[in-house]
Amino acid sequence: MKTRRLVLLGSIVLVCLVLITIQTRGRSSGAGDVVAIVTTPVQTVLARVNRTAFGLWATYLDWKNVRAENRRLRDENQRLRVDALQIGETLDENRRLRRLLVLRDRLPLDTLTGEIIAREWGGWVRSLTVNRGRNDNIVRLTAVISPDGLIGRVVDVRPGAAIVQVLTDPASTVGAHVVRTRTSGIVEGEARGTVRFKYMARDGAGIQVGDLIVTSGQGGVFPRGVPVGRVTAIDDRGSALFHYAALAPAVDFGRIDEVLLVTGDTRHDIAAHFPVDG
Amino acid sequence: MKSLLALTVFGGGVAHLTLAPALRVADVAPDIPLLVVLLLALRRGPEFGGVAGFAAGILQDAATGGLIGVQALTKGLVGFAIGTLGGRFSVTQPLVQVPGLVLLSIVEGLGRFAILKLFHYPAAFGELMLYVVLPQALYNGFLGAALVFALAWTESLRARTS
Repeated sequence: MKTRRLVLLGSIVLVCLVLITIQTRGRSSGAGDVVAIVTTPVQTVLARVNRTAFGLWATYLDWKNVRAENRRLRDENQRLRVDALQIGETLDENRRLRRLLVLRDRLPLDTLTGEIIAREWGGWVRSLTVNRGRNDNIVRLTAVISPDGLIGRVVDVRPGAAIVQVLTDPASTVGAHVVRTRTSGIVEGEARGTVRFKYMARDGAGIQVGDLIVTSGQGGVFPRGVPVGRVTAIDDRGSALFHYAALAPAVDFGRIDEVLLVTGDTRHDIAAHFPVDG
Repeated sequence: MKSLLALTVFGGGVAHLTLAPALRVADVAPDIPLLVVLLLALRRGPEFGGVAGFAAGILQDAATGGLIGVQALTKGLVGFAIGTLGGRFSVTQPLVQVPGLVLLSIVEGLGRFAILKLFHYPAAFGELMLYVVLPQALYNGFLGAALVFALAWTESLRARTS
């Protein structure tokens, strides 16, 4: 056992010394070639294993980086979307408020801006709650308008809020006339959420789809000339004394957020301050 | 024996090619084949240590383009020596492992320098020791001790599960 070990040690030393001697005696290429015959395949395999291992590792790192980047980009995308939504919302609000302020400044009426804080859209009642109430000297039957037209009237006043009955409420009635023909009638809401123009005298016929209906100002609740809606269909009842017209309200009640409450004298014709081309 | 020898040389070579550049600290890289040879010589004895050291050294000599046989000789001798003497020391203690590995690395470095010096190796001894041999020996000591610890832990885990 001991001899075997010594022989092995001697062999190792001998082989190494022979290799070194051969190389230093100027026959390095021969010794190198001999070793290379043995080592080159091993080195090739080692290099391949190394390359494969590194390739796999690099692929894993790439995948990990891509995943992290993907997560980061997703978060950033989400944040930017929220930012864009907020900016869009702010721009929209800014545009609406600007229109409202422009109208308020132009109108020859005393008005107060209000913000809608609640909506009742059940069908039995269609109303909006505005953040102006008794504290702001709002009274019942105050007219409520927007830059697009008539919204309705205040039907209930509370300390910090007022309930506005909108045009589409089944109990709502507004005196109005057709701008083009001056035909008078009453605009009333329907349970299904639509609006119609009724008590239209037959001899006032000539009303057409697309005609603009505005408030008549009779009764003193609403100023004269506030757009109410446009005729979308005419229901001709044959020989009846009156016939009806279905209207599309001038205001989209579902999307309105700010309103003007007419707090002073309403005996003015303010038709010139509203768009008539739709 | 043969398959383990091949695995040692091959594994050490792969580790050296793959890990050594990544483990480089302040331009000092560990001599992973030497560590593998030493660790296995401790377990398998002088014959295994000698042959494994010789094979690993030949590969390293051929890979580096130096004088073929120098590292084969030094690593073969160190592998043989540690295989012979390892049984007499309590190599499971880190206090033995780290200085032992440092010392063996220095011995291997000194041997290599001595052989190369016979063939007019130009580098100065002090400079080589200070910037190459000692830093690498220290690195080998700590890395080798960590490897010993990891191996011992793996074996105890395996023993516990079986």
